[in-house]
Amino acid sequence: MNITIEINDEDKEFQVKPGEILLDLLRREGYTSVKEGCKAGDCGACMVLVNGRAMTSCTLYAAQVDGKRITTLEGLNDELADSLRQEFLDVGAIQCGFCIPGVLISSYSLLTHNPNPTEGEIKAALDGNLCRCTGYIKQIEAIKNVARDLEGGNNERRREKI
Amino acid sequence: MLSNVTKYHIPGSLGEALSLHNRESRSYFLAGGTGLALSDSNRPVELIDLDDLELDELEVDREAGRLLIGATRKIQQVVGCPDLEGFADGYLQDGLEKVGSYPIRNAGTLGGSIVRPFPWSDVIPILLALDATILYFDRSHEKRELSRLYDDDFRPTLRNAIVTGIEVSLPDEGVTRGSFQKFSRSEFDVASLNVGCTITERDGEIVKARMAVGARPSFATRLTEVEESLKGRSLNEDLIYETAELASQTAAVSSDRKMSKEYRVAQVRKMAEDALRDITSEFN
Ligand SMILES: Cc1cc2nc3c(=O)[nH]c(=O)nc-3n(C[C@H](O)[C@H](O)[C@H](O)COP(=O)(O)OP(=O)(O)OC[C@H]3O[C@@H](n4cnc5c(N)ncnc54)[C@H](O)[C@@H]3O)c2cc1C
Repeated sequence: MNITIEINDEDKEFQVKPGEILLDLLRREGYTSVKEGCKAGDCGACMVLVNGRAMTSCTLYAAQVDGKRITTLEGLNDELADSLRQEFLDVGAIQCGFCIPGVLISSYSLLTHNPNPTEGEIKAALDGNLCRCTGYIKQIEAIKNVARDLEGGNNERRREKI
Repeated sequence: MLSNVTKYHIPGSLGEALSLHNRESRSYFLAGGTGLALSDSNRPVELIDLDDLELDELEVDREAGRLLIGATRKIQQVVGCPDLEGFADGYLQDGLEKVGSYPIRNAGTLGGSIVRPFPWSDVIPILLALDATILYFDRSHEKRELSRLYDDDFRPTLRNAIVTGIEVSLPDEGVTRGSFQKFSRSEFDVASLNVGCTITERDGEIVKARMAVGARPSFATRLTEVEESLKGRSLNEDLIYETAELASQTAAVSSDRKMSKEYRVAQVRKMAEDALRDITSEFN
């Protein structure tokens, strides 16, 4: 069957099998930021935004997103995404890096809907992302810093550093 | 990946969806996909996507204590719905926030969470404690109490019906509050045991009580003896201890890999106590 997806701001048509999982389609088409981890909805490494909402692409059929808007990490190129990337590097929130695309998608989704989250809200937003290296502390710190900078209008500094 | 699936339907009406389902015994309704997509079963050959049926409405009348949620409403869209704030003192939203993780709640629907009686389901005990009624379409629009949804004689009907919504009616008089307790090995894991409880009080007296225990390890059921014993009494420390003890004696629990029967009995006591204490503090 044919489906059309607006993926990272581009309309694309794909031929998929009716029982094909979105994660498999995205990786086959070269969106390699979308990682295959547990393939059971647990680890969040395959997270994407579907119409702006974070979802695990391993628990969705490709046919379900026909006509919808998908954003992968490759498509996050605005100021907020840049700030998050830079801050994750600055505070050392990345170790092996496998979970990071998913964590960044969750962080982006959080700060888009809630620019000034509490620590509890940050933890809740990351509860679908497994990271076996960092212990989350640095990731939470990075998100807090970006939120603080957003509030203070201090995004110039971040953009310069990228 | 469901490798044997050859057809994907997107029906425009309930009638069309049901006919497609009746035509092929190996067809499956698809809502959020969080349950189905993880299956690698060879059985499904057709998927019937319910997304276009507009079953995602949410109507709430807070004053009358009535609520209707469409079956394809995403769990997170209930958790985050401002119109629902304060309904049963936040019991439903607080409870549903404990289901899975944020991305799973963004995709999973309420209907998809109740059709199969997953033993570890949080949604089922949460709704059982609200005395929810399930709306379904089986050539005509019908209703059934959630507590009777999994009765053996009803299973064949449920297998061939489309769940269209969930209705909750709080008692006309009094104030209803609730508490949902979940015990799991980690934030990521599904429940090893869960308890949903609501109490309706009028002038300091309990007029209605509901308590449901799930992940026993089988799916949730109500503790009717506990509910009856609470009626007409006032919540206080003695009653909390007595009720928690009765809950632990009457909940039909057994052992599995996660917990022994003895541990579950002790946990039911503790979680029933915590739920009642939580509710008491809200009333005070
Ligand atoms: C990683 C993970 C963690 C989870 N953690 C929890 C948890 O902590 N607590 C909890 O309670 N649940 C949990 N779940 C379960 C999750 O909530 C369910 O998978 C989800 O709610 C199912 O809803 P869905 O819309 O995705 O259903 P689908 O996958 O689309 O369907 C599930 C089943 O219901 C049928 N169906 C769906 N909708 C209808 C309908 N309207 N009428 C008739 N049949 C229908 C389908 O045919 C299928 O058999 C978890 C799931 C995952 C993947």
